[in-house]
Amino acid sequence: MSEAEAYSYDADMRKANRKQAVEGRSVIFKIKRCDGPGKPTRWESFKVPIETGANVISSLNWIAANPVTVEGTKTTPVVWDSSCLEEVCGACTMLINGRVRQSCSCLIDEYAPKEGDTISLEPMGKFPVIRDLWVDRQRLFSNLTRVKAWVPIDGTYNMGAGPKESHEQQQMRYALSECMSCGCCLEACPQFTKEEDESKWDSSFVGAHAISQARYFNEHETGKQLKGERMDALSGAGGINDCGNAQNCVKVCPKGIPLTESIGSIGRSATMHAIKQFFQGKK
Amino acid sequence: MSENADSTQNRHFLLRRLHSLSGIVPIGVFLIVHLVTNSTIAWGGLNSRVDQEGFGWIDRSIATFQHEVSFINNMPLLLLIEITLWSAIGFHSILGVYYAMSGKGNTGAYKYGGNLRYALQRTTGYFGIFFIFYHVATLRWGWTWLIPGDAVWSHEAASSTFAAALRGSPEEFTAVGMVVAVFYFFGVSSLIFHFANGLWSAAITWGITISRPAQKRWGFMCAGIGASLMILAWMSIIGFATLDYDRAVEVENAMHGEQIHLNSEDALDAVTLTGHDDTDG
Ligand code: SF4
Ligand code: SF4
Ligand code: FES
Repeated sequence: MSEAEAYSYDADMRKANRKQAVEGRSVIFKIKRCDGPGKPTRWESFKVPIETGANVISSLNWIAANPVTVEGTKTTPVVWDSSCLEEVCGACTMLINGRVRQSCSCLIDEYAPKEGDTISLEPMGKFPVIRDLWVDRQRLFSNLTRVKAWVPIDGTYNMGAGPKESHEQQQMRYALSECMSCGCCLEACPQFTKEEDESKWDSSFVGAHAISQARYFNEHETGKQLKGERMDALSGAGGINDCGNAQNCVKVCPKGIPLTESIGSIGRSATMHAIKQFFQGKK
Repeated sequence: MSENADSTQNRHFLLRRLHSLSGIVPIGVFLIVHLVTNSTIAWGGLNSRVDQEGFGWIDRSIATFQHEVSFINNMPLLLLIEITLWSAIGFHSILGVYYAMSGKGNTGAYKYGGNLRYALQRTTGYFGIFFIFYHVATLRWGWTWLIPGDAVWSHEAASSTFAAALRGSPEEFTAVGMVVAVFYFFGVSSLIFHFANGLWSAAITWGITISRPAQKRWGFMCAGIGASLMILAWMSIIGFATLDYDRAVEVENAMHGEQIHLNSEDALDAVTLTGHDDTDG
């Protein structure tokens, strides 16, 4: 699984754009704004001068310093979330030209190479908006808790050194470990729909990231101990069976995580889990 | 976890997997058998066992199809088989619609092949239900008022009466008949796509294909299965739509042991459209 594949949809277009980027141009940012949870939304446009190497976050910085729309009206600075600025934390995820990705790694040259080109920015649609482009990804983390995405090490005695892992196993799990909880896979998934009611989160679709993390920890020698509980959670409502195999998740994952392989693998574990339960007659 | 949560969880799992399974057995298996049977109207000429004096390719095709239909109608416990199928289709449809409504398509923003398949799987499902209902209601339950020209399908004159139902009149296409034939074309094609794509995704659901190359290889095989079934389906539709009605009647009568003169209108009337309204024999 290569990085190239993750962004394959319009990689060529973006490369071509970079080549023809005009120096000293200005670009229009059309931004979907919202003053707070439950408040109405509106669109505002800003004209931003583009420096070499500019990205969406640097442009948002410029707008924060000059919060004046193209019509010349003074407005509030646009709010967004970010942290690492190098595509490893996932905080800055938003919809850019209608599709989900990280804004810190989004180069303006690739999206708006000519004078007056427009880039649209919207908050992710599957999570509640806190303000403007800033969303609350709590449900994403809560879904990781649902599948117990951790290694159980807390106890009353020292468990000693962890078991050895083969090189192949390490390679496979390394790819899964790269998840940064950004939410792209959830935003693009047709089966993961917005759910305002927190009490329904536990029975709504968990999403590809949680399925993949469950596999990551199921395959860990110590993490295995919780496999049964993870499979219980994933066999129920909102679990693995709710995936519709649209495979958008793997296409949009910025880390190129083989999410659809994880879905197949957890599907197999769920089949085995059910057979085991049936014949062992525990439930 | 409480007892209650466990049982809901198991029920959820069971329903989901039964939904997946029912699409293959019995529905998918029946679809294949049904298409193979129906397409004999195009390739049944190969079958020399039905040959009679003076029979050509098309006559053997008509005869083979008639033979298959009679065979099915004489099967023991036919009604039981039918009821099994109807309940499986009903179960698969009701649950399928419920599941499909839980998702929200986004092919506008994400135009990936997989996403398109996901969306198509749902549309073909809805359309397929509609088509199956029409197909079974008109040809099996005898809701003839839904058939243009009020043709009645009879298993004793299987080819001729079906051609009439498809064309809107025994001899040639009427305007409504055209609509019915096109509806058949899209209905059957939808169902085949739904089956082939369902086979592909069921392999992921059950955890049979995991690695990307495995999913791809199985994808090619499912596409192959789908394409073959499409060919059978289109052959059947074209075969019946272009069928020589009088000739079919003659062959069917020959098979039932009565010789009827090709040009005798009275004789034709005896076995054709209005003559049979008991569809299940
Ligand atoms: S494959 Fe499953 S998890 Fe991934 S986008 Fe499709 S429905 Fe969502
Ligand atoms: S799996 Fe990929 S897209 Fe999903 S949260 Fe993790 S890094 Fe983001
Ligand atoms: S700021 Fe961390 S991924 Fe963009």
